[in-house]
Amino acid sequence: MNLLLIIRRAFWLGARDYTAIFTWKTWLTNWFVRVVAQVSFFALIGRMLGDPGQTQFLLVGNAVLLAAMVGMYAVNMVSWERNAGTLPLLAAGPTHPAVVLTARGSYLILDGTLSASGALLVTAHLFGMPLPWPRAAIVIALIAVVAASAYCFGILAGSLLLGFRSIQTIVTNVGLVTLMTLCGVNVPLDFYPEPMRWVASVLPLTNGLVAVRLAVTGQWQAALFPAAWEALVGIGWLTLCLLMVTALVRRGRRHGTLDYAS
Amino acid sequence: MGTVRAGFVLQMRFYRRYPDLLVPLLTAPLYGGIFAMIMRYNGRTDLVGAVSLTPFYMSLWWFALFSGGWIIQTDRWEGTLEYLVSAPADFAAVVFGRVGATMLSGVAAFAETWLFARYVLRGDVAVRHWGVFAGSFALTLFAMAATALLMAATFVLARNAVTFSNSASFPFYVLSGILVPIALLPGWLQPLSEAVFLSWSADLLRASIATGPVPHPVRGMVMIALLGTCALAAGYTVLRRILGQVRRTGELGLR
Amino acid sequence: MTVVTRDAVTLAPFGVPEPELQYSAGTPAIAAVDLVREYPRKRKDPVRALQGLSLTVAQGEVHGLLGPNGAGKTTLVKILSTILLPTSGQATVCGHDVVRHGRDVRELIGVVMGGDRGLYTRLTGRQNLEFWGALQKVPRKVLRSRTEHLLERLGLAAKADARVETYSRGMKQRLHLARGLIGDARVLFLDEPTMGMDPVAAREFRKLIGELRDEQRTILLATHDMTEAESLCDRVSFVRDGTVVATRSPHAVAGLVSAVQGLELDSADAALAATLAEVPGVTSVTTDGATTRILVRSQDDFPRLLHLLADHGVTSLRTLRPSLEDVYVRLIGDRGLEV
Repeated sequence: MNLLLIIRRAFWLGARDYTAIFTWKTWLTNWFVRVVAQVSFFALIGRMLGDPGQTQFLLVGNAVLLAAMVGMYAVNMVSWERNAGTLPLLAAGPTHPAVVLTARGSYLILDGTLSASGALLVTAHLFGMPLPWPRAAIVIALIAVVAASAYCFGILAGSLLLGFRSIQTIVTNVGLVTLMTLCGVNVPLDFYPEPMRWVASVLPLTNGLVAVRLAVTGQWQAALFPAAWEALVGIGWLTLCLLMVTALVRRGRRHGTLDYAS
Repeated sequence: MGTVRAGFVLQMRFYRRYPDLLVPLLTAPLYGGIFAMIMRYNGRTDLVGAVSLTPFYMSLWWFALFSGGWIIQTDRWEGTLEYLVSAPADFAAVVFGRVGATMLSGVAAFAETWLFARYVLRGDVAVRHWGVFAGSFALTLFAMAATALLMAATFVLARNAVTFSNSASFPFYVLSGILVPIALLPGWLQPLSEAVFLSWSADLLRASIATGPVPHPVRGMVMIALLGTCALAAGYTVLRRILGQVRRTGELGLR
Repeated sequence: MTVVTRDAVTLAPFGVPEPELQYSAGTPAIAAVDLVREYPRKRKDPVRALQGLSLTVAQGEVHGLLGPNGAGKTTLVKILSTILLPTSGQATVCGHDVVRHGRDVRELIGVVMGGDRGLYTRLTGRQNLEFWGALQKVPRKVLRSRTEHLLERLGLAAKADARVETYSRGMKQRLHLARGLIGDARVLFLDEPTMGMDPVAAREFRKLIGELRDEQRTILLATHDMTEAESLCDRVSFVRDGTVVATRSPHAVAGLVSAVQGLELDSADAALAATLAEVPGVTSVTTDGATTRILVRSQDDFPRLLHLLADHGVTSLRTLRPSLEDVYVRLIGDRGLEV
């Protein structure tokens, strides 16, 4: 119970940091406009090619990508934590730092789910793509799974990069475009050579996106298997992250490298 | 002149020290790859050349938005703004020099995008109209630097500058038709596109690598120059106002 | 430690004319007349940081500004260095008006604000100096040799090509001073330059300021540090609530507070101390180890006190001259931890 309380506190703490950047109004008028534009940017390619199927493919792919994108911002979140000098305080606390850290940024999962589902809804409307309501609501759940697994991956990447300031921006940006390239967002997975498909299958987004694509066309049952895969990928990265942060903190205690803001 | 030079050198040193200011140079090839892949998958190899140059415009806009837009703001954060204001050199000249350095990153972005498009993505990007290409390219760099100046100045005053710069990427990519021609946008958006210098630049650069004559080259170049000049004038005016405000109110995040 | 009951102390009238100090004749390096500076606030009365402050500093003088946080020292430095406009009043630096001829002023001055901010932390010390030198319009050839010279002089040569973010606080502050000097400023504004410096670094810093004085530079030094002011300044001005309360040479400040006088004697026992405290005119008696300090309200109280001490067989005693710190506490008031 105590742990749950800590997680809840950490979540709200993180959410409050977030509202320092966005208010509801600026989220809608700035950020949401951006994500809708991002999906439209790619969906318009389909329109340029005169192929409605392609338009839908790009639209769904890039909308779900948003969930992964926001989840991946966890990389920045971890580095803020370091810059703010709160990392040693986390390590000094009674709860496992990885747990607090994970809870602290979990608002990103919420944001990613909202951004992606919202953008999917709006662009589907703009481009005249049918969504099978009300069962399309399941799509939102699938998107949340993608956001969560990308978030786990992001925390791991962020923790790995703790020692390298100013690389975070590079990693988030390059990481995102890599996901965009590899995970079947813009072209189907079978367009890639075999080794790339292998890499893609353990990255977040790939399997979840397959699930969403199936669900959108009404193949609900078929969507379950890839969705479970996506969740498993997320859990895998999170486990790795917990192990790593434990090792990192232990090493930091020994070598005194858990420094305050530097 | 010495001051402009000092600003230029400073910004070049920042590029070395803050590699994240050059992020687009890393993502541009990936975006180029994505666009080319979509075209190949759909069997439209004829479009590979044009779309694989799109990352260049994305980079330009990014540079104006981030490495240009945050110039004054970072001085505020570093606590250097007060010293800049109390130096005999003209503050605007320093900013000009620094913004000017972003033009160089624009040249690098083009070279990279073009070489990648030509030799890796195998797109047809041979320049066929050199006059239009050179003219519009130079004007585009100027307009980008001017836009960077405008953003550098307004970001200091705007409360939501962080939010804005994180959100202003894709809406402008769509508006300026750097990937998909403006004609495919809804009619009510098209007039807005004409106010973005990138839309004219993209048209002319695309036309200069295409076969056949370039439609309305002079009009396009005049528009880029005009929009650039407007941004420059507006940026300079805001900059003066900021300096006035610093001295009058003692604020702008100054202790 | 000293415990002084403040209310019992009478201050000498502030209207005592300033003792004239003769420096190079002609235009003063700094002249401020009736400076007022208000900071507007939302839906509240504006804050008045300066309330008619006047100050004259001669060429070549090292002038200390003493006062608590919020007294207006930093505001004054900002106005003189053209960073801030005064609400009213007038100020000149070497005869140039800071409002109308800001550019001329900026050519003459060097500014060092306290703390370690204000440098490009990812650039090297040398790169910082080169940049700021160019902004001070130093010709490139001169700049190169002057950068070298300053790095050497401030003991930064060994780390000249390391990023500033790797510097210690003291090094950053020395680099700040180098930045202030790179334009060969005639007038230097130093706003708490040794704030947070370790004692050794601060001593070196003071030595350097002494050298700058020998070079006939005018220095306006805002500080909290009494030792610093005492050892460096030709004159000090006490600033309180946005005005100058008094200006004196550090050695003449004692005259400002005639009441802060007293005696110091060795080993008064508790009974004697209690008796002494009862003597009319004695404002405080404190014992610190083997020394007892007795403060009296005025000169007239001495005979009675001396008499009493003689009766108790005390023969070894010294008269107390108030230190700059004592004067500061009397003039500015002991605000404790209030800021």
